Amino acid sequence: MNIFNRFFLWLLLGPSFLYRKMGVNIPHLRAILTAKLMMDDRRVSGIQQSRRKKQKPPKFATVSTMFFTALMGCVFLYSFAVGHDYLTELTIYFSFYVFILASTLISDFTSVLIDVRDNMIILPKPISDKTFVLARLLHIVIHVSKLILPMALPASIYLCVKEGLAGLFPFIFLIIAATLFTIFLINALYIFILKITTPEKFKNIISYFQIFFAIFFYAGYQLVPRLVSKTVLSHYSITSFKWAWITPPYWFAAGWQYLRVFNLASPLFIYFILSVAVPLLSVWLVIKYFAPSFNRKLSMIGGSEIGSAPVKTGSKGLLSTTSAFISSIAKWFTEKGAERMSFLNTWKLMSRSRDFKMKVYPSIGYILVYVVIIFMNNKMSMASIMDQTGAGRFVFLGVIYFSSFVLVMAVQQLMFSEKYKAAWIYYITPIQLPGKLFSGALKAAIVKFYLPLVMLTSIVAVAVVGPKIIPNLLLGIFNQFLITTLRAYISMRALPFSVQQATSVKGGGFIRGLFSMLITIILAILHFMIYGYLTVIIIFCVLSAIASWLMMDSLKNKTWATVMMREYED
Amino acid sequence: MNPIISLNNVYKSYGVKQVLKGINLSIYPGQVIGYIGPNGAGKSTTVKILCGLISDYEGEVVIDGINLKDDPIAVKAKIGYVPELAELYDVLTPAEFLGFMAELYNMPKEMATDRITRILSAFGLEANMHQRMDTFSKGMRQKVLITSGILHDPDIIILDEPLSGLDANSVIIVKDLISKMAKEGKTIFYCSHMMDVVEKVSDRIILINEGTVIADGSFEELQQQQGNQSLEKIFAHMTAKESLSDAADQLMHAFGK
Repeated sequence: MNIFNRFFLWLLLGPSFLYRKMGVNIPHLRAILTAKLMMDDRRVSGIQQSRRKKQKPPKFATVSTMFFTALMGCVFLYSFAVGHDYLTELTIYFSFYVFILASTLISDFTSVLIDVRDNMIILPKPISDKTFVLARLLHIVIHVSKLILPMALPASIYLCVKEGLAGLFPFIFLIIAATLFTIFLINALYIFILKITTPEKFKNIISYFQIFFAIFFYAGYQLVPRLVSKTVLSHYSITSFKWAWITPPYWFAAGWQYLRVFNLASPLFIYFILSVAVPLLSVWLVIKYFAPSFNRKLSMIGGSEIGSAPVKTGSKGLLSTTSAFISSIAKWFTEKGAERMSFLNTWKLMSRSRDFKMKVYPSIGYILVYVVIIFMNNKMSMASIMDQTGAGRFVFLGVIYFSSFVLVMAVQQLMFSEKYKAAWIYYITPIQLPGKLFSGALKAAIVKFYLPLVMLTSIVAVAVVGPKIIPNLLLGIFNQFLITTLRAYISMRALPFSVQQATSVKGGGFIRGLFSMLITIILAILHFMIYGYLTVIIIFCVLSAIASWLMMDSLKNKTWATVMMREYED
Repeated sequence: MNPIISLNNVYKSYGVKQVLKGINLSIYPGQVIGYIGPNGAGKSTTVKILCGLISDYEGEVVIDGINLKDDPIAVKAKIGYVPELAELYDVLTPAEFLGFMAELYNMPKEMATDRITRILSAFGLEANMHQRMDTFSKGMRQKVLITSGILHDPDIIILDEPLSGLDANSVIIVKDLISKMAKEGKTIFYCSHMMDVVEKVSDRIILINEGTVIADGSFEELQQQQGNQSLEKIFAHMTAKESLSDAADQLMHAFGK
């Protein structure tokens, strides 16, 4: 254990007498927490996952995660640029704080804090529900502290410099209150989700939440400063919003104000009381009421209890799970045999694997946000788009060329899977050219992620600009296919879904990424230069189409010799 | 002699689906119970109730004179449980993991360390004691799991497919261990699908199907009732709805032969 974990353990086991009074077994509590912290330290965090080599198991995951969080905390300082008074600034700060913490916790809850293995390992042991829940709660607190200490550090320093210790201590106090409150929120949300849905669907719902939050934050972070001008922000006051006092962040901000001024008669007193009482009340609620039912419900997330999958009646047999729609698409785009099999298989795995969605959907969301930003950044007029002059061209090409980045993540992710061992099916079946597996998988990704986007942009472009855009549109699209197939040819070196997530494909991944990025930019610039010359565009259009066809063909003809094989242990 | 485990009219349902339909059992110390039944018969539900993982059952479960609903913790202290799937915190080392388990069973540290070292050495894992378990094979993990189930010297040991992944030599060790522990007066609750093992290991076989006990007795008694067959045949005879050789025929017909 590192020094941070040891410190937190010491700190949180401080009020042991209090826990004992609640009926908690202290040695059990200490044992569970020690084991949990030890595991946390060896777990690869999401941020560094892709970079870590397999040979070196992580030992000090905690420290590096804390460093990244500290950087994020600096971003929060932005809220102090809003408004004149601390009440406004801190309300915004605390809103940020509660929101970001809640969203981080939502993801950590399923992966770290609520470990379904606990059901089989810890629950059959003679420990009380209260001990277990408190251990879980304190583990959450430690986990959260490791997030919030670095996260709140920049603001603490800021307040300490501006207001001195009299500003710092109330802030620390209220940060703790806000944290407890956030934990309660998450607990309540979990209970709520478990109430309205079955445990099997629980994890899916949580992961959609995560995807939504990730995109939402990114969009907010990118768009809000652009939408709202700085002068408006600096004159904004939270008191102009009548109902602000209902929201918890306002209480925390007011609580700080109250402690800072320390005027007993101040009307802010009521908020101070709220900011203290509500978190304490919620902790009590969690332990007293949520704990028993929570554990029981959670033991069901394990899944096995609900038992065997319901037999679907009325289906026409096994093959009918492939929809007619997708099988006819497959017939259109792929040749019979390995390629079509790979297409359909990839399609289904992409649509059903939670893991895949979690990795790919957020980055697709980011890219869409970027596309919106491209539109907003150029103060272009509708007229310039319609005439396709200057900025209009730039926007059009930007959207077209940028949209293919949607595919980058998807194609990159195609190789990875949690169930990577299942790829044995490719090795034992008589497949002549593994390239067909690549091309099938790639086509599935293109059809699923890029084709809808292409259709949308085409329809919008033709509707706004008129038919004269079609040659340029086609060249743009063919170029995207060229880039994607080229990128796939370079980067797809392991069979679809055959590599374990944690291990990265060795060697020059970054250089390759940079290289393909460069190609995109070069092609976009070239396209921009020949934009107005119709004949040139048409010639290039044909060339690009032929090139991407050739590229796809050589991808299809990749031999076993070029495929990165992985050894099967045990 | 008082039964160490007794179940009286135990019912359990998930939603509308009733999984246990009135289980009545009295199990005495020193017995090795072979608890068998087809998939979905309610075996693992029974085990989970005994381990205190499921508390919303109907009926009465008394273990060593303690009602499970009154004091689940006291009951859990008497039980050692080896779950079916290799559920382990595999980033820990066996020494760390088992030390953690020992603490949850309120064992003194020195005693725990001593016992862990001895058991793991007996299993031939002393060299791996301080390696993280994520590199372990299935058999090695299973040995650690079995260790965690017997570590606190419990009166009742519930084993769910304890031999899975073990090599032939380890299988012999574990089987031997089971009979020796039973001789010492411990009660073994052995769940498995491997009929030949159950046949040899258990003193008493309990067969459940669709939530009720359909056969209960020693292997010899079952043979007397059902004819002189192997347990596998008796099992098939009592639980399969259709003839199993018909199913095999159908499988062959699937090739069009």
